[in-house]
Amino acid sequence: MDRDKTILIVDDIEINRDILEEIFKDDYKIIKACNGAQAIEAINSNPDISAVLLDLLMPEVNGLGVLEEMNKSGKIEHIPVFLITAAESQEMLLEGYNLGAIDVITKPFMAHFLKYRISNVIELYGYRNELEQIVAEQVERLNIVNQSMVETLATVIEFRDCESGEHVKRISRITKILMTEVSNMYPEYHLSKTEIDKIASSAILHDVGKISIPDKILNKPGRLTDEEFEVMKQHTVKGCDILQSIPDIMDEGIYDYSYDICRHHHERWDGRGYPDGLVGDDISIWAQVVSVADVYDALTSERVYKKAFDHDTAFKMIFNNECGVFNPKVLKAFENSIDKIVGKH
Amino acid sequence: MSLFDELKNLGVNVDEGMGRLMGNASLYEKMLGKFAKMIRDSSVKSEDFDCEDCTELIEKTHAIKGASGNLSVTPVYAAYTEIVDLLRSNQPEQAKIVFDKNLSVQDDIIACIENHMQ
Repeated sequence: MDRDKTILIVDDIEINRDILEEIFKDDYKIIKACNGAQAIEAINSNPDISAVLLDLLMPEVNGLGVLEEMNKSGKIEHIPVFLITAAESQEMLLEGYNLGAIDVITKPFMAHFLKYRISNVIELYGYRNELEQIVAEQVERLNIVNQSMVETLATVIEFRDCESGEHVKRISRITKILMTEVSNMYPEYHLSKTEIDKIASSAILHDVGKISIPDKILNKPGRLTDEEFEVMKQHTVKGCDILQSIPDIMDEGIYDYSYDICRHHHERWDGRGYPDGLVGDDISIWAQVVSVADVYDALTSERVYKKAFDHDTAFKMIFNNECGVFNPKVLKAFENSIDKIVGKH
Repeated sequence: MSLFDELKNLGVNVDEGMGRLMGNASLYEKMLGKFAKMIRDSSVKSEDFDCEDCTELIEKTHAIKGASGNLSVTPVYAAYTEIVDLLRSNQPEQAKIVFDKNLSVQDDIIACIENHMQ
């Protein structure tokens, strides 16, 4: 058995707590609580708890209240909870199971059976938690590898475009800052931190389609002719074709964001963008954000066909719709986060 | 006569109770001592059943039922199982009758345990 594992015994009847303690004390560390409130405090302050033996009927906070708190904190996912009950109420037991209890111990209990049942589950949870940890670490390593492959691909493309690879990294940073501000200002978009991170990573590939554009157009020092511009516009669609051919180098979420951003980062709020001429909120919020980030970075960077504008000029040009019309909400978020963007730029 | 033999004569299922505690006689004896103290401390009396709000009495009798069940103190467990059911179904007068009828055997069991603990 495992003396570095801890069992929390929760029962308002002292003699029941003592019996359970006697059964498990040689194999586990024991913490005891005589009501639900004490149990919640013990669970929150002891990260090493491996199982909870929880009486259902207790004064003040009962067993179901403890389960509800464990659901709120997410601890129910990692700690097995056994309900101790004299089976007075089928409804309570059912609710207990619904709240994530792993098993029911019926009073009066038999020590031998109890010991085997609880020890087996603790062992299984231990393996499961360990496996989850290993999987999480491997997923993280895989994500890092995938991310660096994506960044390498984007950088190679940028070198063709006479850029150093810094443009895509700046777009990713600006996108993250802007998306975070949009999320804070407009909760209706339901953007979690995890999703924002995925969007920022996906923004790196927004111009991947430029690899299909001939050098004479891509690196032309002067203004493009109408015909040349039509070819240039194809980088959005060609980019999607490229992403479709390499879906396995990124996870599903990043692939979906990358595809959408790649295709729609030149759409405009008034429908005058390309390739699909989408209008307003038909353009995803992340594609709209990358549009602003891309335009701002393009304006403030030197290109073969233009000098870099200073920040104030770029800011005015964007707000004066000189680079197309943007969503007023995104512009407001851009305005609010400009200090952070300039600091990072 | 030993404690366990006397308890058997009073209807306590000693073998089952000890079995519940992995056959550990000294642990069983120790828990019986705690049980006797619990009964004394909780001090349920016949007049407690004249209650309008019986919440506290339900908690006390529920605790005795649980502890006596885990130690197989069968006569007490059987009586309190019935008492708790009657109280929960709002029949304190009926519960009182069951309590009064079983009080003497409960007292005998507690006295027996206490005598051997001294």
